[in-house]
Amino acid sequence: MSNTDAPLVGDSFKLGYRFQNFWDVPMATAFFFGELGAGTFLISMYFDFIAGMILGLISTGVGKPFFHLTHMGVPAKSWRAVLRPDRSWISRGLISIMVFVPFGMLVVLDQAFGWSGGGFLGKLVMFVTVAAALVVMTYQGFAMSHSSSISLWNTGLMPVSSMAYALLSGTAVTLLLASVLGGLGDADLVMLHKIFLGLLVVTLAILLSLLHAAYHGTRGGQQSVTLLIKESFSLPFHGLVFGAGIVLPLIALWFGGTTPVAVVVAAIGVLIGFFSYRVLIFKAGVYEPQISFAARLGLR
Amino acid sequence: MARMGMVFDLKRCIGCNACVIGCKQENSLPDGVFFTKTLSEDYGVYPSVKRVYIPTLCNHCEDAPCEKVCPSGATYTRDDGIVMVDGEKCIGCGSCAVACPYDQRSQVSKEMLDRGLFGEGHLTDFEKQGYDRFTPGTVIKCDFCSNRVDAGLDPACVVTCPTNARIFGDFDDPDSKPNRVMRERGGGQAPLAEKNTKPKVYYIS
Repeated sequence: MSNTDAPLVGDSFKLGYRFQNFWDVPMATAFFFGELGAGTFLISMYFDFIAGMILGLISTGVGKPFFHLTHMGVPAKSWRAVLRPDRSWISRGLISIMVFVPFGMLVVLDQAFGWSGGGFLGKLVMFVTVAAALVVMTYQGFAMSHSSSISLWNTGLMPVSSMAYALLSGTAVTLLLASVLGGLGDADLVMLHKIFLGLLVVTLAILLSLLHAAYHGTRGGQQSVTLLIKESFSLPFHGLVFGAGIVLPLIALWFGGTTPVAVVVAAIGVLIGFFSYRVLIFKAGVYEPQISFAARLGLR
Repeated sequence: MARMGMVFDLKRCIGCNACVIGCKQENSLPDGVFFTKTLSEDYGVYPSVKRVYIPTLCNHCEDAPCEKVCPSGATYTRDDGIVMVDGEKCIGCGSCAVACPYDQRSQVSKEMLDRGLFGEGHLTDFEKQGYDRFTPGTVIKCDFCSNRVDAGLDPACVVTCPTNARIFGDFDDPDSKPNRVMRERGGGQAPLAEKNTKPKVYYIS
């Protein structure tokens, strides 16, 4: 039995909703770099675009660990996070990063120098890399969705949104890099443009589904969604996640095609939107009131 | 095998917070950290208002979500059902804290320990002897005063409570105090039962 009319109570000794404050901006930034990197690597690999693959590996192999370490209470013992892959998504994710980065480097070297000669070993390395990248893209969503305490996160749509944002931001960065550095043909750019538009629509649908599911799930989920769309976080959520991250890129790509200006605006908008989503979804996470006895005691 | 747990008698709790202070003393908890809290719930409109006090602490769940998500193996359950955190193994990732539906975990920082209870960086002798047990950066929580339980004593919050609102014992023993009280009062209510964590803390009202 939870209290349906409970307020947000902060650290007070009142019964009510409390914000989770254990995972904050550094953790959100680590999630952002991990998903961005794996997505960029996969999309770039599909188009044989080595610059994007390298940037993806740097994002996941350097950016993500850096921000994870800034978040950790005891960074020197962070290696211990690999010890429980049997039950913890954090362990599984860390192991997949440790596989993804070195195997991804081998794939880059294969594409650059052809060390495998197109043989079985090269294909095996690529298969392992893709599998690891898929885990890196989604494990953070799984880690959040397994947290039954925060209703906003406790949904199967959380890993789906991780996947969608990873691919969307990966497409954005790949298209941006290709526009700036060259290296992809016109047909590839047009294909990337179409994928970009498609992923924007898919991501929008997933976001709306996630909010809908949370709002109609539990009172805690309703509280979080209200914070995101009506109260404390509504301005950044509407402005950055939806406005800059979805609507602006859609308009830019729809009317600007693959022109450099349109691509730059769309890519930067997506990155801003994705990062804001990561931060705000943490900020809006609330614990539900532990218990309420008012009704049982005849007080309401 | 034992299954240690607690029953809160809401009719007896007067919201004096002696349990909170007893816990802080026993565990030398730094400023801002509580292993137990007595929450209040207010209803009605002035002048017809009522208040209920609801003591809370770690529920030592049988199906503890904090233990499941811990990537380092720091969170574990003892044979007697008490959920513990090994400070030597904890990496301070906070995944247990966001997994606990009851918001019953705290992270202890170096700044917190250096600052002390009085916020001036000057630690009292009491703090100096107590803070040694904490590893900065790790997550800490109520362990039912496991050192006292091992010595055959009740947790500090239980012995401090002036109204006997906290009843501690072994749920596997049919004649234990919590089982007897629960039988007499027609059963208890577990917090957030819908989360399916099987708490070993019950409320009777």
